[in-house]
Formats: sequence, structure tokens, C-alpha cells
Amino acid sequence: MTGRSTPEVAVADLARAGFTQARRAGSLIAAALDQMDADTDEGALISDLGAVADPNEAALGLVRLVEHDADAARLLSVPGAGRERVLAVLGASSALTDHLVKHPEHLRDAADGSAPQPSAIVEAVHGLSGRAGADALRVAYRRELLRVAVTDLTTQDPLEAVPVAAAALADLAGAAVEAALHVARNDVEDADRCRLSVIGMGKCGGRELNYISDVDVIFLGAPSEGADETEAMRAATTLASAVMRICSQATGEGSLWQVDAALRPEGKQGPLIRSLASHREYYQRWANTWEFQALLKARPIAGDTALAQEWLDIVQPLVWEAGSRDGFVEGVQAMRRRVEQNVPSAEADRQLKLGPGGLRDIEFSVQLLQLVHGRADETLRSGTTLEALAALRDGGYVGREDAAALAESYRLLRALEHRIQLHRMKRSHLMPTSDADLRRLGRSLGERGEAERAVVQRWRSQQREVRRLHERLFYRPLLQAVAKLSPDHLRLSPEAARTRLAALGFRDPAGALRHLEALTSGVSRRATIQRTLLPVMLGWFADGADPDAGLLAFRRISDSLGTTHWYLGMLRDEGTAAQRLARVLSSSRYAVDLLIKSPETVALLGDPHGLAPLPLETLVTRMSAAAQRQQEPADIFQAIRAVRARELVRIVLTDLVGGGEEAEVRAALTALTDAYIGASLEAARRIVEQRRGAELGIELIVIGMGRLGGRELGYTSDADVMYCFRPTPGSATGGDAGADHGEQASEVVTELHKGLAGHGPDPTLELDADLRPEGRSGPLVRSLDSFATYYERWSAGWEAQALLRARVVAGEESLAADYTALIDPLRWPEQGLDQVGLRQMRKLKARMEAERLPRGADPRTHFKLGLGGLTDVEWVVQLMQLQHAATVPGLRTTGTLAALRAAWEADLVNASDAQVLRESWQLASRLRDVGVLWRGRPVDSVPSDLRDAEGMARILGRAPGHGADLAGDWRRQARRARHVVERLFYGQQMPTATTRSYRPTRS
Amino acid sequence: MDRQQEYVLRTIEERDIRFVRLWFTDILGALKSVAVAPAELEQAFTEGIGFDGSAIEGFTRVYEADMIVQPDASTFQVLPWRGDNPGTARMFADILMPDGTPSMTDPRHVLKRALDAAADDGFTFYTHPEIEFYLFKEPYEPGTAPVPVDQAGYFDHVARGDGHDFRRAAITMLEEMGISVEFSHHEGGPGQNEIDLRYADALSMADNIMTFRTVVREVALQHGALASFMPKPLYGQPGSGMHTHVSLFEGDTNAFYEPSAKYEISQTGRRFAAGVLMHAREICAVTNQWVNSYKRLWGGGEAPAYVCWGHNNRSALLRVPMYSIGKGHSRRLEVRSIDSACNPYLAYSMVLAAGLKGIREGYELPEEAEDDVWSLTEGERRAMGIDPLPQSLGEAVAIMEESELVAETLGEQVFDFFLRNKWQEWSDYRSQVTPFELDRYLVRL
Repeated sequence: MTGRSTPEVAVADLARAGFTQARRAGSLIAAALDQMDADTDEGALISDLGAVADPNEAALGLVRLVEHDADAARLLSVPGAGRERVLAVLGASSALTDHLVKHPEHLRDAADGSAPQPSAIVEAVHGLSGRAGADALRVAYRRELLRVAVTDLTTQDPLEAVPVAAAALADLAGAAVEAALHVARNDVEDADRCRLSVIGMGKCGGRELNYISDVDVIFLGAPSEGADETEAMRAATTLASAVMRICSQATGEGSLWQVDAALRPEGKQGPLIRSLASHREYYQRWANTWEFQALLKARPIAGDTALAQEWLDIVQPLVWEAGSRDGFVEGVQAMRRRVEQNVPSAEADRQLKLGPGGLRDIEFSVQLLQLVHGRADETLRSGTTLEALAALRDGGYVGREDAAALAESYRLLRALEHRIQLHRMKRSHLMPTSDADLRRLGRSLGERGEAERAVVQRWRSQQREVRRLHERLFYRPLLQAVAKLSPDHLRLSPEAARTRLAALGFRDPAGALRHLEALTSGVSRRATIQRTLLPVMLGWFADGADPDAGLLAFRRISDSLGTTHWYLGMLRDEGTAAQRLARVLSSSRYAVDLLIKSPETVALLGDPHGLAPLPLETLVTRMSAAAQRQQEPADIFQAIRAVRARELVRIVLTDLVGGGEEAEVRAALTALTDAYIGASLEAARRIVEQRRGAELGIELIVIGMGRLGGRELGYTSDADVMYCFRPTPGSATGGDAGADHGEQASEVVTELHKGLAGHGPDPTLELDADLRPEGRSGPLVRSLDSFATYYERWSAGWEAQALLRARVVAGEESLAADYTALIDPLRWPEQGLDQVGLRQMRKLKARMEAERLPRGADPRTHFKLGLGGLTDVEWVVQLMQLQHAATVPGLRTTGTLAALRAAWEADLVNASDAQVLRESWQLASRLRDVGVLWRGRPVDSVPSDLRDAEGMARILGRAPGHGADLAGDWRRQARRARHVVERLFYGQQMPTATTRSYRPTRS
Repeated sequence: MDRQQEYVLRTIEERDIRFVRLWFTDILGALKSVAVAPAELEQAFTEGIGFDGSAIEGFTRVYEADMIVQPDASTFQVLPWRGDNPGTARMFADILMPDGTPSMTDPRHVLKRALDAAADDGFTFYTHPEIEFYLFKEPYEPGTAPVPVDQAGYFDHVARGDGHDFRRAAITMLEEMGISVEFSHHEGGPGQNEIDLRYADALSMADNIMTFRTVVREVALQHGALASFMPKPLYGQPGSGMHTHVSLFEGDTNAFYEPSAKYEISQTGRRFAAGVLMHAREICAVTNQWVNSYKRLWGGGEAPAYVCWGHNNRSALLRVPMYSIGKGHSRRLEVRSIDSACNPYLAYSMVLAAGLKGIREGYELPEEAEDDVWSLTEGERRAMGIDPLPQSLGEAVAIMEESELVAETLGEQVFDFFLRNKWQEWSDYRSQVTPFELDRYLVRL
């Protein structure tokens, strides 16, 4: 070597040049210079090293190379483009450095900057087989890979180079598979019986491959001329397996990558090779939407080209018909959800590939638009993401600026991914965490000062850019189609807009387009804001069970609120308000009706505390205060009802988007009704007092019965009530005074009914007093004494059944306490229920089962009166209460579930029976509530329309497409409950329970 | 349009077929048929053909929409008895909802679901039925006892026997329709015949059985006879059962086969058998679905009225048939309770589901019954833990009503319809005054 003494390299110079561990780098460079030509310009070398992504690693690589190979030392002593190319590789990829150390003969290929020659890989394996072939393949592949990396790393604009490098990598992969096929044909004995063709799929097919990635393929086989088909297919399968093995197995020269054939028909379950006819049949009959999406990228990469062409002729027309197949819309929606959900949470914030706005999301979204619009427009049929995006832009399917921004994002993500993988040739889609890795990454993309921070910043700002990817790709162009203001000449045609709306799940695309037009046309502030809001909201509507209804309701609400100062601002600025509104409007007709009647309640969605139902006391205070401010009877009730309407909206919104428990909905509805009746009763007294000009001499209470008494109200439950009064203690009694007290009470109750029956913004609450003593033929209001006299006539305990759910909901507390004291011994009789009473109850129930069900209703599907329904469960519970409440204090409650729980705790019912009853009661209650929410009117049975079932299932939080399961779910639950009811209520023993003795034991 | 469908369209063209019948089965096992013109067939393949399902037994409309029949092209066959030029063909059809999802009330779908459940566990289910039926002289006069076409017995060769010609004609026609016949002979009762079908996967077999019944009836008519699959048409003579050999395969391997085990039956096979026995009483209303079915079960002879299994025991409900050493492929269990008038889709679904439950939950097979269980006393049977099957349709339905297994397997809607229909049948029967009662009581009481 050149005999010069170890030179000193100035540490400061190195630090300035970009070395982080300057001292160590100094000694490395010194060691390298030791081996290099004596006249090597040290300054130039340091400056060359300082230009690469990781100068330290480059210095280390340099030492390894020059110490190892004298030829390399000579070559690298000369400054210039050649050395710069080699150093760029050494500074960016430790894996390729290793390759160069092992194969210094490839150094000149790196240095001369020549274009990669994929065909060289095939030539390198000519005539080879077995291990020798596999090794030669690896060496030749890496040599070309080196060339790709050199071009990629020394290009001026790394982002512009992404598609070039990706295409080159795909070509190399194709050539490598072709070479592997040559080797395999030499290995496999009957290889000449078959023709084999390899179709590249995924990124390989799309000519946008990564440095290291599985290569997705589909193998096609056919018999050679004159060969037997069965034997040929067997040979083709062996050959294909050999190709996969040759590429993936590790030899002395390492391995290439996995060849993955999982995209073939039937995936990994399917045969590796199948005939063309079988391919045709599969794609015609069985394939899912995502499989057609995958076929977008199919491209022959190796083997028999004629065979591949035959296959393409079969499948390509099918790809473009996919958009018109059954289930396409559902398939598309399912795929979108998969993309968004499919992120391991631990790595979510470092992911380049998965998650919203990641590489896969961009690729999938572009492919979906291709499938939707590519049928009518052949220019969209490219397999490469960036080309397809450009075509979508040129056709007006995506806005020009949006397309440019997306393309930029995509290139950046891919560039990051390329450089991360290049370093160790390891498959990774995660941003690195260490400063050294980030620094190399940043510098390789041209960052210099603070490269580790700059690269992260650049990535984060890109993330903000693509977060609204779907909005940009799917929805914004729809608005441009209707808004005549767009300066862009390329607009989505109305035809294409309708196609796209249909693909997004709108059933009436033409109608939707009209609404969009109405919402966004013009130059008003409202139209301007809605133009920015709607692209996002359309996506949320599309996720709902009824997108069309959602959009229409939005238009109506915007029409009435659009001029207020707060509405549009709230939707624009309040984070989740717009999303919640979209969800509510596209899932609940009940909510839409309420919101249309009192649109200002939409404001609750923008209020951070808007979705927490108010406690009873606050409700009472608000209603009373509102009533106090009014004088005229009609105005007083109107004021109370306005408060109720607002609170009802709050409960509905909480139910739909607030994530509350279903039991909370029933409690909140009951509290609201209690307050409403209380405030109205107060108002009615005030009105009567004003009219009479004197204070009333009576106490008056309203007793809630049924579900009101049990605090179990649903959205459309009637309020069952009774009224009870007595003279105020100390007031005059007897004679005329006594009669007048009764009149006072009647007047107040009449006023109350009148007030509640008036029109208001909320659905009317019917007070139903039919459960009072003697029913409709009895007086509407009774005195406490009269109640006592009436109850005394009862003999058997069962008559008190209705009283089990009696709860005083409004009126004076002293009278409430005395009334309760009157009925407690009746409803919780000390001696329980005698045999006569029990028989009476059973008889009554049996007759009800036969008579009460409405005409035409199916006892299997009716939630309330059907077999195993609400009434069934409630009667079982009430029977146990009559029998045992005297001894089991927990049973002394008006609530069905509370009493059921107490019965279980007291061992009156076993755990599994209690569970069956509870689940049935809860499911029936909830189905009734979601039925009202969805349809806007009561739903008594499992709906007979599939769309209704779907809408209800969605409110229940089920995945889309499972509406038809509701019927089966309810029938199963009700059947089980009915068995329990027959056992517990009727005391019926099924014949099986006694006669079945045969019970094989379980091991 | 797949290749099979293209083949069907081409064949129709080539063979000048003017009508294509789409066959499906109602919940009680009656064959239903709609005829379509060949021109409509292409649409039938792609979209199906709408019809009002509420008119069909058990196809109650849960959702307010017409149903759709969609032919299964792989079941295409020309009907031989309709003659050539112009000919008639048939395909089995699936019943779909308007949105293209399978109808929950289609028995074929019930069986498909049961088979899917088995496939999830890695199993395919094969069956091989021995179908018994009677031939009576035509015409049958209501109110009189039916007259058998002959007076022969088990395996008898009948000289100039109509039955002989009949069987030859029937088998020829079955083979023409692609249904392989394994075996046929004269059975124990006068005019009673048995034809065994070669084993096939359960869905194809259920289709085959539906075809079989039709073919046998047609051929009988051509021979001036009436074929009946009624479980017990003649007092004092054997009933008509449909003993079915069943086996599970894992890929190409018979999962019931274990060369070293007793009777070469694997643990999987033993558990399957335990499942069928454990649930035999629950599924009895499906495997033996008519009032008359219980006359066969309780009519003595070899009828399997008791829940037990045996190796060479012809009175057991479940039999492990004779085996030849080393023929692992054919290792199987014979379920003997099923009768010839069952709905094969539902009956096979239930046998499979009961067996699978035995496998999944690891049921232990009880001890083998070696004696003729009919000859044991009530007390002996009780001591041995041998339960009787239900005595009547009424009892069977009451037991089935409690069964989660049957509800899950049939689906809630079929389960509910089936129960209601069978309660009705039982109550109709109960109110009858029978010749037996008149003979016994009228004069004496």
C-alpha cells in the first residue's frame, strides 16, 4: 500500500462536515486513507462523505471496502460522480454495504451510474439449477438492486424519483421471478408438460414496489400441447411451489423476498394452480368486491405471455363490471371500515401504511374510485396509484388541487418508506424513533440542519393534509359537480356524480344531488360554509342507515336555522357537533321530527354539557320558572311544554350519540314526565285558583301506574295515572264544603288534561286514568277516604296487582305519604297470595293472552303482549311480589328489574331464569325504543320490512347488514322467556323434565 | 353465468326441452315445483324468479316481500318419464329473500347451514339411506284397507312379480337421473320394497331423496301401482323406515375410522353416536314427523323405539354395522329411527347437529346394548338406562319444544312453524274416532 504515516484528521472539520461522532469518524477515515492512493485528496473525501445521509456509516463502509479490496481502494481514491454514487449507497444502506463488501466486483456497477438491466438477472441463471441457480439469482438481483438504489439516492428530487424507483423495483422483481422460473424448470422433472405464467398483483403488479416487500402473484397453469391436463396441472403446481421456494429460501447469499400467492381465487384455501375456466367461474360467481379491487393491479410479470393474456381477457371485463354487482356498495363500505380500523394501536402514531390517511388508505380510496367510475371511463384503468390519481384528476373525478396535494403526500410517504427499508433491507412501515435513524432519514431526503426534527415535522404536516382524504376524494368533487362556482373546468359530470352517490349508499342519487345543489348554490355566507362542511358530512351521512333521509333533514334544518348567528358556526367550529348531527339525522326519524319542530334545540349538540340529562329537581325548577312568567292558561302550558320539548331532544340525542345506557334513557324519560306532570299540576291549580279567586282547600296528588310508576317509560309510553285528593287539614268539611272539595279536585284535573292536550313542539303526553277504581265508569278523581272504602271491598290479594307499580309522581307530600300507607298493606299482603288468588291471576292472564293481542299481530313477534314479551315477564315478577313482598323487603319496589333482582337474591328464582327474564324484558323495551327512534312512531313487533329492521339494528349499534337477524334474535329470546314464564307463572312442568332420565355423562 | 349454467342452457337448446321445473321443498318435506320456459332461465340464474311464499307450507313471510327461487345449475337433470321431444327437465332451487340473502325458511338452506357448521369444524357429512316403501294396487279406495301388489317377504324372488319389473324400471330411471343405486330387494312386508342409494354428501342426498320419491311414484303409476312412503300403512306388517348410514370425513379421511379401536370406531365416531343418542328424543319430531310415524316405532318388529346402540343389534336405534377389516373408508353409523316420510333436509340437519354437539362437548358413549331391547322388561330397560323414544307425535313435539338444539339448528322461524303445525296435526288426530275404537267399544259399551 502507500506508505504514508497515519494522517491526523481534524475533528472540527469533521463536525462541520456533518459527522456526529467526529473522533471515531476521524480514525475511520484515517484508516481508510491508509489503504487508498497516496495522493487522495482528504478534504474532498471528507466533503463527499459529509454529503451523504449518514457520514459515519459511510466512513465505516469505506474502511471495510478499501481494506478488503485493493481495486476498491483505487477506485474510491478518485473524486467525482462515481465515488459520490458509491458513498451515497454506503451512507444510506448498511445492507447494500454488506453486499459490496462481499461482492466488490459490483462496485463498478454502482460507480458508473448505469441504468438497471432486469434482463441481466435472467441471463445470470442461464442453464443453472438447484442451489447454484438460487445463489446466482440472488447475486444478480442485488447487483441490479444496487443500481436502482444508486439512481434513487443520487437524484436531485427524492420525491420525484419515487415512482421511477418503484417501477424499477417492480421490474427487478418480475425479472427475478422469471429467473426463478428458469431455475425451477431445470429442477422440476415434468416441467415441460405445462405452461406456467405468473401474474404480478399488488404493488408488484402496479409497478410501484418497495425495496423489500412480499411479492404478490397469481400463478396460471395450462397443459403444454398434447399433455394430459391432470398431469400438467400437477406439474404446474410443483413448478409454482418451486418458484416460491427459490425466491424465499435462505441460501449462502441470503434470500430475496416471500412470494405470496394468497390473492388467488379462494385465497390460501384454494389450489395454487387452477385452470382458466375455473378462474372464470370463480370470478363470475364467487369473488368479493375486494378481489376485483385487487385485480385492478394484475400485470403479467413472468412465464408464458399468451396464457397470461388469455387470463387477462377473461378477468379484466369482470373487474369493470364489479361496480354493478350485488353487494358492491356494502363491500365498498366494509372495505373502508377495514382500512380505518386496521391499526395496531401501539404503533398507530408511527404508521406510514395503515390507518386513516396512511398509504393503504390512499391506495384503497383511489382504487375504489377507479371501480366506481372506471366502468364508464376507460382512461381510469391504470394499475399504478399515481397514474390513476392523475387520470381521476384529468377526468374531473377529483379536484385538481386535491389531487396534487394527495399525490404529494403519497410520494412523501413512499419516499420515507423507501429510505427506511433501504437501510437494512428490512420490511418496515414504521417511522423510526432513534435520533440517529431519524437523522439519516431526514438527510437522505435532503434535510440538513436538525434533520431529525425536520423530517418528523414534514411528515406530521403531511398527515394533517391527508386526514381529510375521503372528503377530498369522495365528497368534495360531488359538490363541485353541483356548485356552478368552481373555477375548475374539469368537473364531475352529473352522471358520474349520481354513480358515485349510489356507490356511497344513497338510494336516490338524483334527489341527493338536488339537495346538495340547494344547500350549496349561491354566494351567501351560508352556502359558502355549507360548501366546506358538506364534503365531510356527506361521509357521515353515508355511514348512517338512511343517508338520503339524513341529507334531506339537514337541508330542512339548515333552511330554518341557516340565518341564525350560531348554527353554521357551531357546525364548523364545535368539533363533533356536525358529526353527531349527521349521525342523528341519518339514523332517526323521531329525532328529525323533534328537531324540525324545535330547530333551535340543535344547539345542544354544540354544548359541551348538552348531552347530559338534567336531574329531576332542575327540570322542576325550570318548568315552574317558565310557567311563573306567563299569565294566560294557554301560555303557561306552552311555556312548560317548550322546556319539555328541549329536554326530550336532549334525551334522544344522548341516546343516539351520547353513548348512554339504555336504562338511563328510561330513567331520564320518567324524570322528565314526573317533572312535566308536577309542573302542569301546579299550573292547573294556579289557573283554577285564579278563576275562583280563592285558594283551594284540597291536597291533590297524581299517582303514576304501570311503566310510569315503575320508572320505565319509553319514548311513546302512555302515562297511566290516578288522582286522589283530600281536604287540606283544618279546612271546612262536611256538607257543601265536602261537595265543593270534590268539585275543586275535578276542576284542577280537567284543567290539567286540557293543558296537556294542547299543541306544542313536543309529542303530546296522554294521561290515561283507565286503571282507576271501577275503570272508566268510576269517578276521575277520588278522595282518600273513597279509595280506602273501595279497597276494603277487595277480598283475594290479586286485585292489588296494579298497585304494585303505583308511585306518587306529583302533589302534596303529606297526602302522598298517607296514600302510600293505605296501599302498602294491600299490595304487599302479609299473608301473601292464597290459592284462590293465584288461580284468579292465572286465569286472568290466560284470558288476556287469548284476547288482548291486536288483530293480525303475531304472538311470536309482539314485544309487549306476545309470548315471552314484556307483560309475560312483568306478571311473573308481580306474582312473586304479591306472594313474598311482605317477607322480602327488596320486592317492595315499583321497578320490574329491581324486583326481579330482589327475587333472585332471595332465591325465589334461580339465576339463569332471572337472567332469561331480564334479557327478554330489556330487549323488548329497547326494541320498542329504537323502533320509535328509527320510524318516528311506535313499533310493536319485529318489523316486517327489512329496511326497518336494518335501521333499528344500526341504532342498537350492530354492524351494517345484520338487520335481518333481529327477528331471529327476538324469537329466540322470547321463546326462552316463555318457557320460564310457563314454569314460574303457570307452574307448568314440561313432560320432558320428569320423564327424561337418559343422560350420557360428559367426560 | 358460470360454466354449469352455460351447460344447462346449451343442453336445453340441444335436447329441445320446452319446460324446466324448479323444485323446492316445503318445511314438511313436500316437493313443490314451478315451471319456467327456457327463455326465462337465464334471468332465473342471475336474478331468480319471484313468487309469493306465503302460499307454501312454512314459508310464512317474516318480512313483507316476495320470495325468490334461484335454480342450482349443478342439479340439472332431464326428467326421463316426461319423454323426449319435447322434453322436460328439472333443477333444485334455493329460496332467497328479495335482497338476495337465503330465506331462513328454506329447508335446503337449513341443511346448508348445518353443513357449514360442520365444515367450520373441518367435517363433511355423508349419508347413505336405505329407503323402504310399499306398492299397492291402483286405485286405492278411501275407507278400505290398501291392497299390496304381492304377498312376498324379505328378499323373496317373486315370479312374474310386478315388483321385480318395477324395481328394474325404477332403478333404470334413477340411474338416468344420475342417482346411483347400491342395492334393491323385496322387503319384509307384502308389496314392500327397499332401494339403497349410493352414499353422497348430505345435501346432494337430500336432493336425491326428493327425486327418488318422485321417480318411484311415477314408475309405480306406469306399472299400475301406487307407491307410498307412509311410515306404517298396514297393521301387523313392518313399517317403512329410512335407515341412514352416516359418516364424517376430514378431507379424504373418514373421521369415524380408527383401526385399533373397538369396532374400528374412532373417538370422534363414538362422540357423534353419543350426541345422536343423547338428543334422539328431542329430534324425534323431525326424524319421525307424522302421527303415523309412531305406529311404526311402536309397532314392534325391528323398529328402533328405544334409545340405545349396538353392534349387531337390529333393535337398536343406532347401529355400528358389520365391517370388513381395513376398509376404513366405509366406517359409518346407521341411524335407524328416521322414516321414509321425513323431510330429508331437516332430518339430516338434526342428526348432524346432534352428532356434532356430541363431538364438540365430548359426550361419552353409554354402554352397548347387546340384547333385543324389545324382549327386556320395563324394569330391566330402566336399570340399563335405556329410554324410550316418544310414544306419540304429541309427546315428541312437547319434548322438541324444549330443545335449544333443535331451535338453533332449524332456526327460530322454522322451529316455530314446525311446532305449530305439528301441534295442529296432533290435535286433529286426537279428535278422531278410529275404526279401532268402533270395533272395540261400540257394541260392548
